Amino acid sequence: MQKLFSLPSLIVIALLIVGLPFVQRPVVAAEVLTLGIAAVATNLLLGYTGMLSFGQALFFGVGAYCAGVLATKYGISAFLAIPVAMLFSAVIAFLIGLVCVRRSGLYFIMITFAFNQMVFFIAYSWTTMTGGEDGLPGVRRPPLIDDQWSFYIFTVLVFICALCVMKLFVNSPTGRILQAIRDNPGRAAATGHDVGRYKLIAFVMAGMFTGLAGAIFAFVFGIVPIDKVDWRFSGDIVFMTLLGGSGSFIGPVIGAAFYTWLQETVSHYWDRWPMILGIVFALVVLFFRTGVAGMAEVLTGKLTQKGAGAKPKEMEAGS
Amino acid sequence: MTFLIASQLLNGLATGMLYALVGVGLTLVLGMLNIPNFAHGGLYAFGAYFTYTVVNLTGSFYIAVLIGPLLVILVAFLIESQGVRRLYAAHHDYQLLFLFAMALILQEAIILIWGPVGFSVLTPKALAGVVDLGFTVYPAYRLALIGITVLITVALWLFLTRTNVGAIVRAGMENREMVAVLGTDINRVFMWTFALGAYLAGLAGALATPIMGLTPSMGADMLPISFVIVVIAGLGSILGAIASGILIGIAQSMTTIWWPEASNIAIYVLMGLTIILRPQGLFGTR
Repeated sequence: MQKLFSLPSLIVIALLIVGLPFVQRPVVAAEVLTLGIAAVATNLLLGYTGMLSFGQALFFGVGAYCAGVLATKYGISAFLAIPVAMLFSAVIAFLIGLVCVRRSGLYFIMITFAFNQMVFFIAYSWTTMTGGEDGLPGVRRPPLIDDQWSFYIFTVLVFICALCVMKLFVNSPTGRILQAIRDNPGRAAATGHDVGRYKLIAFVMAGMFTGLAGAIFAFVFGIVPIDKVDWRFSGDIVFMTLLGGSGSFIGPVIGAAFYTWLQETVSHYWDRWPMILGIVFALVVLFFRTGVAGMAEVLTGKLTQKGAGAKPKEMEAGS
Repeated sequence: MTFLIASQLLNGLATGMLYALVGVGLTLVLGMLNIPNFAHGGLYAFGAYFTYTVVNLTGSFYIAVLIGPLLVILVAFLIESQGVRRLYAAHHDYQLLFLFAMALILQEAIILIWGPVGFSVLTPKALAGVVDLGFTVYPAYRLALIGITVLITVALWLFLTRTNVGAIVRAGMENREMVAVLGTDINRVFMWTFALGAYLAGLAGALATPIMGLTPSMGADMLPISFVIVVIAGLGSILGAIASGILIGIAQSMTTIWWPEASNIAIYVLMGLTIILRPQGLFGTR
């Protein structure tokens, strides 16, 4: 652990894990960690490979529905349903990635977005399987993790494992090549790396872990709501990632915590909470662009080493 | 069956022409900003809702179709001047996120202003009947819609290719620095291009009201379709956006004949096939 994460990162993770269930209900704390996995996974693409995917809700939804259907229709335990859903998300990510990674930049954003909507329509129309508009209710947790504290501990364990695997991935030779592709795709290709293949690897990794997050989410509230596969949720995930700071590995987790807190607080008072969400998004983008992690980095005087991590977006500003 | 296919073809053409307007609007803004305008669907929906309100105030559908989309331009000016322009210097991701936020705000604003329940707008009396075309009987409004959208598209095409302002807009889409260097106020060009794109979306929304009705989610539904149009067309191609708008409209209505449930999914399959067979899009060069 010590070598994998820097000390400030470890402190932030520990504080979050221990502190969250005291400021929020344990299920909400579990939701934060779940969305945190999805946001860090999305950042494998955004921060580490330079691909902005606007279709991550697709994989979140696929994971959630897969786990949910296995649990409700076939009575399969969460301990089996979650890994199966994760693998299934990886397969879907591979198939969709084959098409998506053929294009980059603008095209990539629009294609991932469009496929997101396609999967939304499938979930929407396949009512016998997904429950359509009403969502898929009745996803039961196995007895061992049925009460909210044991479920929270389970989520913490999955969260830590997922973060470690993803961190090992970005530190691996493959991860380094992804960062090289982000910084200069042309040069990466010229040095003999198959850029398309590496992008596909990143896409599958991101899809797989976002799917894992979705699979756990199905058990958080015992329901898979249709809006978790809606394109607006893809935007929410991108927002969490950018707000937390795509320049740091664990930054997106902070973004996820902020997003969940905002949603929890505002949705209690007002049905039209996406409006508030939109306003906050706009204000953050206009006035607080560097993200929470970016600000923290400035405050702590660049404790994290440069170069090894993801590149802060603001540094590329220009023109 | 011939009757069904013929009328579905015309239906496809009618929605396809609306798609073409939306697609051209998105293409213009896309070329300028280099990011997809996520607020495009919301502007489309606002066009429809403004039209609905003006119909209620004046009682005339024709006046409403003229005024409604113009009001959308005001919304576009607000978005452009308060947000998009301030973010030109920042990374593209932030413009995109800002426009995504606008998409959320616009949709919620519709629910706040007009309520969560959908509306319908009556077809104007003169166009309410059906026309016997010989091979099929077809609603007059939809025929008029096809006619009017073809006229608008041709006028737009002439504006963009035959006028000086149109040339500046196209040049701005190709290379904004160069246009700025040549002494054109690029900020003004951008503002008006953004407005024109929004106007086209709003106009499509206005014209769609009698056949599609109004719901708060109409913008969120139109947005992915407009993305598919641009991807199939190839980025930056105006002619391509028109063609692929029509193509998608017809593909959708044809699927409805044989497999209604798949009609919403068909266009994404079409998009996937296009990327595999011709990654740059049907009309794209890059």
